[in-house]
Amino acid sequence: MTRETQLKLQAWLDGELPAADAPEVERLVERDPQAAALVRELTLTRRWLAAGEVTHPVPESREFYWSQIARRLVPRDHPVSAPGRVFAAWRRWLAWLAPAAACAGLLVLWLWPRWETASRAAARPPEIETPTEEIGTYTFRSESEQMTVVWVNSL
Amino acid sequence: MSRAPDYPNASDPTLVQLAQQGDTLAFEELVARHRDKVYSRALSMMRNETDALELSQEAWIKAWQRLGQFQGESSFATWITRIVINICLDALRRQKRLHAESIEQMAEESGGVERHLPPVQVDMLAGLDRAELRARIEAGLRQLSEAHRTVLILHEFEGLEYKECAKRMGCSIGTIMSRLFYARRRLAALLAGLKEERKP
Repeated sequence: MTRETQLKLQAWLDGELPAADAPEVERLVERDPQAAALVRELTLTRRWLAAGEVTHPVPESREFYWSQIARRLVPRDHPVSAPGRVFAAWRRWLAWLAPAAACAGLLVLWLWPRWETASRAAARPPEIETPTEEIGTYTFRSESEQMTVVWVNSL
Repeated sequence: MSRAPDYPNASDPTLVQLAQQGDTLAFEELVARHRDKVYSRALSMMRNETDALELSQEAWIKAWQRLGQFQGESSFATWITRIVINICLDALRRQKRLHAESIEQMAEESGGVERHLPPVQVDMLAGLDRAELRARIEAGLRQLSEAHRTVLILHEFEGLEYKECAKRMGCSIGTIMSRLFYARRRLAALLAGLKEERKP
């Protein structure tokens, strides 16, 4: 008998075998004496174990055992009520939200100078500027040519 | 003026409710009621009185801390037993006792000599009373490796399914099935007296 078959027999006894595989295992137990003998042994072991375990008493007095626990208990002043549980849930969320907010803040601080430069560039005076209407002076600045031309128009 | 609760006669759910409100006397009563069961489970897993005492107390402290999470879906006894099991599994992992390290343990993992033993067919323990049967089982369990004993405890005594055993022991379902199979075969051989018991 293969190891896989042995484990299938056990799973069948434990009620953990997929229903589709059960008929095949049942047929095997009927026709194979080896499989039937193994099933008998596994059943016997399960029956023995069903008797349970020996309960061992704690080898310390109730008072001494409790005193060792009690001194390590953190007092709980407030009852754990439904609102308390809601608050605990919020605290769990906050544990994630607080670091996320801190990261977002740092990102804003890092990006801010870049945004400011970009907005300044956007707000930069147009290439043709007229400082005063009366004088009729026009200034042309070419960034690519690194050149400024001033044209004064007499009125 | 409200009367003091009658702790010794209060039900577990009542004591849990009081303990959830910070009543340490109610919690003490729960400890007194279930301490033997919790200690026994720790002892069966650790096979060492000192470890069992320390870990069982750790389980009670953890239970106090997590009492707010206990919703009563299972009994309090089941809940506290699961806590002590997890603590013992952590301790066994720390001590690397759940892994097959010796040649003997590796042989047990793969079936060892049990593979060649004929199946036990006669109930050699028929007629024993419950206490005697339990004592024999305990003696048999002591002969098993940590991994084999633990899987039997989780599956047979705690009633956990393969999937849950695998999750708790941190291994695959296939490993659980294999360990369970050889643990049962070895235990059957030991209990039936087919195999000479080795000294603990």
